[in-house]
Amino acid sequence: MSFHYLIANYGSAFLGSLLTTWRLTAIGFIVGLILALLLTILRVSPIKPLRMAVDFYVQVFRNIPGLSLLIFIVYGLPALHIVLDYEPSVIAALIIICSAFACENLSTGINTIGVGQIEAARSLGLGFTSIVTKIVIPQALRSVVLPMTNLLIAVMLSSSLASQIPVSNYDLTGLVAKINNSEVGGILTFAVAAVLYLASALVISALGSAVDKKVRIAR
Amino acid sequence: MSYLSHTHGSAHRKTVRMSAPTTQDALFEVSGPRARRWIRIGTALSIVLLAGLLFLIYQQFAFSGQLDEQYWFFFGQFTTWTFIAQGLLGTVKVAVVAGILAIIVGLLLMTGRISHFAPLRWVCRLIIDVARGVPSLLFIYFFFLVLPTWGLTVSTYWMVTIPISFNAAGVLAEVFRSGVNAVPTGQSEAATSLGLSRGQAFRGVILPQAIRYVIPTLVTQLVVVVKDTTFGYVVTYPEMMQNAKVLISNYNSLVPVYLVTAIIYILINYLLSRLARYISKRTGAKIEL
Repeated sequence: MSFHYLIANYGSAFLGSLLTTWRLTAIGFIVGLILALLLTILRVSPIKPLRMAVDFYVQVFRNIPGLSLLIFIVYGLPALHIVLDYEPSVIAALIIICSAFACENLSTGINTIGVGQIEAARSLGLGFTSIVTKIVIPQALRSVVLPMTNLLIAVMLSSSLASQIPVSNYDLTGLVAKINNSEVGGILTFAVAAVLYLASALVISALGSAVDKKVRIAR
Repeated sequence: MSYLSHTHGSAHRKTVRMSAPTTQDALFEVSGPRARRWIRIGTALSIVLLAGLLFLIYQQFAFSGQLDEQYWFFFGQFTTWTFIAQGLLGTVKVAVVAGILAIIVGLLLMTGRISHFAPLRWVCRLIIDVARGVPSLLFIYFFFLVLPTWGLTVSTYWMVTIPISFNAAGVLAEVFRSGVNAVPTGQSEAATSLGLSRGQAFRGVILPQAIRYVIPTLVTQLVVVVKDTTFGYVVTYPEMMQNAKVLISNYNSLVPVYLVTAIIYILINYLLSRLARYISKRTGAKIEL
């Protein structure tokens, strides 16, 4: 298969599946982050059962293989009378896994702030809300930029799980598998997909480093 | 402070009332009677809520008939567990070999990445970026779909093991590099002033320390490898996920089988994460995210 043939026949399909990969990644990551923020609030709350429940959630979904979770959502949940369409299933799996890792990152970020800072703030007369919004959250967010960048790349790589179920919009991996199942696509199809993945990862990583450089607190 | 310390932090707090052990504990002042009442109410409410959630899940299982004996009885049979254990053995075989390969290749890539010879550095950097930035599934499909058209026959075992180890090698190369960077420069200066060559200093002084720094992170990366072994499902290599598929078609019991295998995976990875944290605590080496 020549490059010209590939572009002529599958050029728009590749573009479409790149956009699908990006869409799955973006929704999974952004909703995952929002969910993680809520979970982290519960995790640092003084209410013990909530802390334990979030801990359990984080441990389970940090350690479950993505394929296991996706297959369960797609084929297991319908048996429990919960039916999601294929693409929402992939997004749900990405959100759940992303939220567990992001919650972990945020908790670590909070715990890197010295206890002394909070005690100092309190002795200066700051209340709980000011301590959280002015001391803790700004510093925690600054210190989690790089881990979150890595997480975003991990979510993008995990979006390739979509190739395991019959989605209507192929992601990059799914498209390559489909082309190679119907004709001899050869190494070129893989190379194109790999370049697109790699370029996305490098852009994400460059943006992440730039943001990190800007906001990092030198210690 | 490790992020989980609040689980054993509460016992600690009873003795040291004034200074909290972690930042997330320090967020709240020692509570007075009114705050304590609110916390008690919140605790009671959240217990009710969580119990309600558990009940809902139970109900969903019960109503859909998933708790019926026909879906679960074969877990009482010895053969079921030997079959799952065989799958698990397949998983372990892939994970261990892929892990070892990843460490060797990762070390090689890292030494190339920090070499003084620029072209080697560029090539290694490219390989590392590709390994880290391209999903392992794509590599597995490459082995599965392309190599046979070239007349190369690769067993399904290597179709999963090689791609997984390649991905992990890219990640480990960067982990090792951060370990090397963490070794103080005084070490290599001291080594060279003792008359060691650059290579000798690297092998004998820098690398052993760098590896010690990154051992906990290596263990956490093993979790990723274990997760990736589930892609044996794609090439029908008999690891646990694939064997689960067979069990499902034999007994027509989908939810219980996937649930049980998922729990086994979670337990294995949880234990590995705990091990990593334990080593990290013992040695003081940080786990990188």
